[in-house]
Amino acid sequence: MGLFLKNINLKGKTALITGATKGLGRGTAQAIAEAGGNIIAIGRNQLELNSLGKIIKKLRVKYVSFNCDVNNFNRIKSFISKLKKLDILVNNAGTNIPESFLNVKKSSLETLLNVNTKSAFNIAQLCANQIIRLKRKQGSIINISSIFGLVAGQKRSVYSMTKFGVEGLTKGMALDLAKYNIRVNSVCPNIVLTPRTKKYFADKKYYKYVKESTPINKVVTVSDVATAVAFLASDASSMITGSSIVIDGGWTAK
Amino acid sequence: MLKKINLKNKIALVTGAGKGLGKACSIALAEAGAKVIILSRTKSDLIKVSKIIKKTKGSSEAFVCDVTNVQEFKNILKKISRLDILVNNAGNNRPEHFTEVKRENMEYLTNLNMKAAFNVAQLCSQKMVKAKNRKKIGGSIIHMSSQLGKVGCEGRNVYNMNKFGIEGLARGMAVELAPYNIRVNTVCPTFVETPMVKKFFKNKKFKKQMLSNIPLGRVAKESDVATAVAFLAGETSEMITGTSLVVDGGWTAK
Repeated sequence: MGLFLKNINLKGKTALITGATKGLGRGTAQAIAEAGGNIIAIGRNQLELNSLGKIIKKLRVKYVSFNCDVNNFNRIKSFISKLKKLDILVNNAGTNIPESFLNVKKSSLETLLNVNTKSAFNIAQLCANQIIRLKRKQGSIINISSIFGLVAGQKRSVYSMTKFGVEGLTKGMALDLAKYNIRVNSVCPNIVLTPRTKKYFADKKYYKYVKESTPINKVVTVSDVATAVAFLASDASSMITGSSIVIDGGWTAK
Repeated sequence: MLKKINLKNKIALVTGAGKGLGKACSIALAEAGAKVIILSRTKSDLIKVSKIIKKTKGSSEAFVCDVTNVQEFKNILKKISRLDILVNNAGNNRPEHFTEVKRENMEYLTNLNMKAAFNVAQLCSQKMVKAKNRKKIGGSIIHMSSQLGKVGCEGRNVYNMNKFGIEGLARGMAVELAPYNIRVNTVCPTFVETPMVKKFFKNKKFKKQMLSNIPLGRVAKESDVATAVAFLAGETSEMITGTSLVVDGGWTAK
């Protein structure tokens, strides 16, 4: 810490990350560990949880993994309620099934609402309660939202519904948790190249659409998002709550 | 994965650098490694800030300048070899109830908070785009806005008009400067412990009323805002443009 410049430092903090095996979750876990934070990773693929563990442990911080579907409320609840340390939640697990509004299947709607909305809510509530129970005196929750939490996109009606919802939840949580000094924010990335979006980008037309919609004319990297999450997790952002960091190269400025 | 706040080899210009937020931003940018050009109307303030920057082993150059004087500002720009970062900070406030606002106050605030801010931003942008490697090294312009660029507040109608204007300007600039890889964002602080705000807070009733509006229950520190500015200045935020970093303890989440 300098006179006026606060560094992104998470030494001694413990962060729980959902959807930690791939993409943004994995990158965020790595960035938080690089800033000195201990990692609790939740994901559904044991091999990937193990390989993430190897990377994290090399950074000389603690690593715990839990192989679990975020929709499995009872298992998640029992796990979180037993945690001895928790300061940060990166509420990341999420999915998307792009379909035009008129053709959205009932099953797709159910899947997206369950993962992106209900599970996100449940995990946030469980973690907030646990941070308060542990008397940590401060905390930071970061919901991984999207530019589609701010604007609409083709075939993104359900996704937008769930991410606009997360934006609302972020603000509501921020107000209710402020008295515990738990800050709640979201990050809203443009479409990041991750294992999930790789198949979208394979479509040349889609890739062109993304680039042309992004004034800065680059694709957002996992590192861009992970750095913003680490910033929000740390005391460098101690007066930022109920807000969003938009990482979109100008997409939503238009 | 984690990008650190590092502004080595960057040249930054800060207006209103003599006091409060401008002073804090200048010192923070210097701490992050940038050479900082500091501008203020008051020479004695510039000397003080230069001394602090020197103490922290930073580098700065000071110019006495009234930013409402375009010619004066132009002359200073001529003396600078290159410019990578602008913190468009100079501003003021004269709170008055809407029906009572004096015409001279409206003129004064609009000339400083909007007209001068526009001119400074335009002149600096013109200088920034001239650098041949600009696209590669990027550039960053940060407007000092306010939470009152997002929501209204009693007695702040002119300031609201000015700062909402700056929010619009930032988005327009972001779109037009993106082809040069120059990013444009705003920082929107709540009340900060600055000389200007300390004056307002002498009114105990006002202080209590304002604090009750900040869910986190405290005003921002100068370092909270300066750190946000430093985050936006460098590659930690290389895909963030045309948006705002709201440092308001939850004020606008309500």
